[in-house]
Amino acid sequence: MNRRTLIANLAAAIGIAVALGWLFTLVFGMLGAQTDWSKAWEYRETLWRGWLVTLGISFAALAGSVVFGLLFLLGQRSSLVVVRWCCRAFLEFVRDTPLLVHLLFGYFVIFAPLVSRPLADAGWDDKLVIGILLLSLFEGAYLGEILRGGVESIPKTQWESARAVGFSPYQVYRHVIFPQALRRVLPAMAGLFVSLIKDSSLLNVIGVAEYFYNTRNFISRSYAGLEGYVPLALGYLVLTLPVAWLSHWLEKRFRHET
Amino acid sequence: MKLEVDSLARCFGTTRALDGISLSVESARVLTLIGPSGGGKSTLLRVLGGLETPDSGTVMVNGAALATTAAELQAYRRSNGFLFQQFNLFPHLTALRNISLPLEVVHGHDPATAQTLAEAALSRFGLLEHAHKLPAQLSGGQQQRVGIARAVARKPAILFLDEPTSALDPEMTAEVLELIQELAEQGQDIILSTHEMGFARAVADQVAFIAAGRVEELASPADLFAHPRSEVCRRFLSKVMRY
Repeated sequence: MNRRTLIANLAAAIGIAVALGWLFTLVFGMLGAQTDWSKAWEYRETLWRGWLVTLGISFAALAGSVVFGLLFLLGQRSSLVVVRWCCRAFLEFVRDTPLLVHLLFGYFVIFAPLVSRPLADAGWDDKLVIGILLLSLFEGAYLGEILRGGVESIPKTQWESARAVGFSPYQVYRHVIFPQALRRVLPAMAGLFVSLIKDSSLLNVIGVAEYFYNTRNFISRSYAGLEGYVPLALGYLVLTLPVAWLSHWLEKRFRHET
Repeated sequence: MKLEVDSLARCFGTTRALDGISLSVESARVLTLIGPSGGGKSTLLRVLGGLETPDSGTVMVNGAALATTAAELQAYRRSNGFLFQQFNLFPHLTALRNISLPLEVVHGHDPATAQTLAEAALSRFGLLEHAHKLPAQLSGGQQQRVGIARAVARKPAILFLDEPTSALDPEMTAEVLELIQELAEQGQDIILSTHEMGFARAVADQVAFIAAGRVEELASPADLFAHPRSEVCRRFLSKVMRY
């Protein structure tokens, strides 16, 4: 860094720090008097339970979206034109409508009437199960497209070479196509998984007691402000940052290899 | 090897890649396909290698009709070897793993045996020092040699080579051609397409000149290069031999 860019950087850093400092002073000045962190402490168990549910939803929907993503990928590459078209139509529908609509429509119109009773009888939390299923479907639709992009980016010669050495269609995917495609789509997949964790907060609209739902209840009951929203943001960061870091690390590792 | 091809046709859209090709080779160690680009060499080779199914016509390889079902074709491909112009190797695997993986999952060898066989294949062609390199760390010539090592590691009945040196510079071309010649001298049956006329003349038992989806001429190299009978072949040879 030469002298000029050093000075420019310093000036920018000071400018940004001053602006943020001013904003924080303003906000805390207004809310500081009413902020009472003991409220959050009082509700710690509810918040903790909500956070654990969000963690559980994230893991379950992550696994679910991988399953659906693979199904959509294979469906779109099917040799049956009807299967391809149906997959295409479904993916378009899912990707062009809001998740909020899927959750409300999917829960109240489709799944709740169908499976709520049997699920409840079996001792399951029907909202949670259906919520995870709908979230998996939604993210799986995106993942399917990401995977398709990755698979189709592998040159034709690789498919041919794999066939030429005698691999079966399954082995072609397993040993040649997926390992290469996954490297290419890793950043996009990590981005999707971060979205998935954040999108899980929308499950509150069907009454799943996850982190956002419990925090909102706490806020409305105790008239909390900062002491509610700050932990809310931090709680999600704790979940999303590791995923982002992991993906950066994997990306770097694989970049050296190819 | 014995080869019997009868009125083989294959269209891609409106292009007739193979326009009723017929070819009869009683016995040859090395059959070389020459001819202008887009004339059908690659397509014929791909059909013979079980990578493409023809629209019509029949092929007999060593007295057996070419398979038609997907499963039979896969088995047929497993018994042969095929090498393309370039990008044969799997870029995410080391040279050694490129060879040992098919031996393991296709041919059912246990990992230790597969590794030993793969190392033997590499050392046979003086490539052992590159065993743990990724394809991107090898030169084009080395990549093709590893590709050939992979193809012959499982003792293929026939080795198919589709313009194996077209993507290489002259020096690398020489190293790959030397290797192919060596294989031929050791008794490997080979069918290859090439633009290297000198090589075709030196190594082939039979040369087929293919143009516009047909076999224009089939003869021994000495015969074909000295006395091309058809006009197209004469023109082609005079063009490619000029420089």
